[in-house]
Amino acid sequence: MSASVSSDSLRQFSRGIAGALLLAAVWELCARGLDLPAYVLPSVSAILAGLANDAGSLLAAARFTAAESFTGYAIGCLAGMAAAVLVTMIPSARSVVIPLATAINSVPVVAYSPLVLLWFGIGMASKIVMVAIAVSFTIFLSTIAGLDRVDRKSVDLIRSFGAGRLAVLWRLRLPTALPLVIAGMRVSTVRSVIVAIVTEMLGAYGGLGWVIYQAVLQVDFVKVWAAIIVASAISLAFFGAISFVERRYVFWR
Amino acid sequence: MSGTATLAANLPVVSTGRLGAVLRPVLWLLLALAVVEAVVVVFGIRSYYLPRPSVIASTIMATPGAYLAGLWRTFLETVLGFLAGSIFGVVMAVLFHRWQTLRELFFPLFVVSQTIPVIAFGAVVVLWFGNTLFAKAVISFYISFLPVTVNTMLGFSAVDPRQVQLMRSFGAADAQILRRLYLPAALPQLFVALKLASSLALVGAIVGEWFGDTTGLGVLLLQAMYNENVAGIWATIVVSACLGMGLYGAVSYAERRIVFWGGEQ
Repeated sequence: MSASVSSDSLRQFSRGIAGALLLAAVWELCARGLDLPAYVLPSVSAILAGLANDAGSLLAAARFTAAESFTGYAIGCLAGMAAAVLVTMIPSARSVVIPLATAINSVPVVAYSPLVLLWFGIGMASKIVMVAIAVSFTIFLSTIAGLDRVDRKSVDLIRSFGAGRLAVLWRLRLPTALPLVIAGMRVSTVRSVIVAIVTEMLGAYGGLGWVIYQAVLQVDFVKVWAAIIVASAISLAFFGAISFVERRYVFWR
Repeated sequence: MSGTATLAANLPVVSTGRLGAVLRPVLWLLLALAVVEAVVVVFGIRSYYLPRPSVIASTIMATPGAYLAGLWRTFLETVLGFLAGSIFGVVMAVLFHRWQTLRELFFPLFVVSQTIPVIAFGAVVVLWFGNTLFAKAVISFYISFLPVTVNTMLGFSAVDPRQVQLMRSFGAADAQILRRLYLPAALPQLFVALKLASSLALVGAIVGEWFGDTTGLGVLLLQAMYNENVAGIWATIVVSACLGMGLYGAVSYAERRIVFWGGEQ
């Protein structure tokens, strides 16, 4: 049984790699065969060469962006979960807060970025605030959905054994909510990096968004693509880390 | 005011419930705006940080044409990208469902493609397609198709294989099984993704406009930011919020009409 499972995942893995290589080959062929200029589509090998060339500055920018996204992400997750627990504890607040949060969540987050830049300056603080806002709403809504999944009868049972509100929350609601909370956290990883980069493009002292913006102004599209690759490497690593935590600690799913 | 109160009192119970459900959020909103207005005035908060709601409203009313034109342009970009992304997303889900090899070859790439900050891509897309409505729609499209594909596949996988066998045994063709069994079964999951995709498409359109354009909500945002016109930023945020909520509401309405059986959420 376990042997067949591992050979299955091995095949999936190798096919995934094959798909990526296929794409890279087609890309390289198109770029070279059609002799496309670099501003239209640089070849894969040119991008890799550019990546190696600018490794130092790209790495510094990546560290900058990663620091902003991680800090904002952590703040956003904590704030979102705390708010969700609070709302669950105070039932009368629900009917006001949840429609409001859903409404605010449907507003494009990027619309706030000029405002946040004016308020918090173009340093790291404005990016952290933007990421925290973007992440906290997603986490808030998924935590609420998770806390609500608890079976009414389980609550009644645990209450009949004399458990108080806090005990119900700690022993029943939070463990039930965990799978949905972590799923929300997994989705938010990619979002946090994207929001940090978007905000950097509007104004920053450093970071990948700033590098991309400068490279666009200088019509250096090899550098744009190299920065895009670094950015997706950060998102992928972040996404992978949270997925690993999810598989490790939400083992009962 | 008293006229509406007596009118509401005369209506049947069910209707007042519905009327109340519509009116209550509006009343809360008005109350919240009044509170913000009062707080700003009483504490003397500088308009640089938070302009009064009435100032924001009068900013919009001063040049309604510019905001309407921006709204219309961004709306078109968003809807084009959203529709293309939804259709492409469902088609890809069907293809991936039908041919496992195709899924194993390319689905990981689909997932990786979403970790690429689209925005970084925006400059390249605008370069490819020119500074047109179409270029922004392409960005909206790119940002919105993956949730649709993922959720449609999730919906497909929840179909009971015995139902498929039953339909086969009655001689149903693949296309019929897809249309009558798989697609309806995936609809509830699909709509969850469509709601997400509609707001993502709007983000794509607004950010796409930052790479150079003359009309649109994204342009209004940038112009207000460069002029440090905080009331203008807020006015654009309010207009974008209306557009975002309108799109979300439209998809939710379609969901209630089409997925009438999915009432448990």
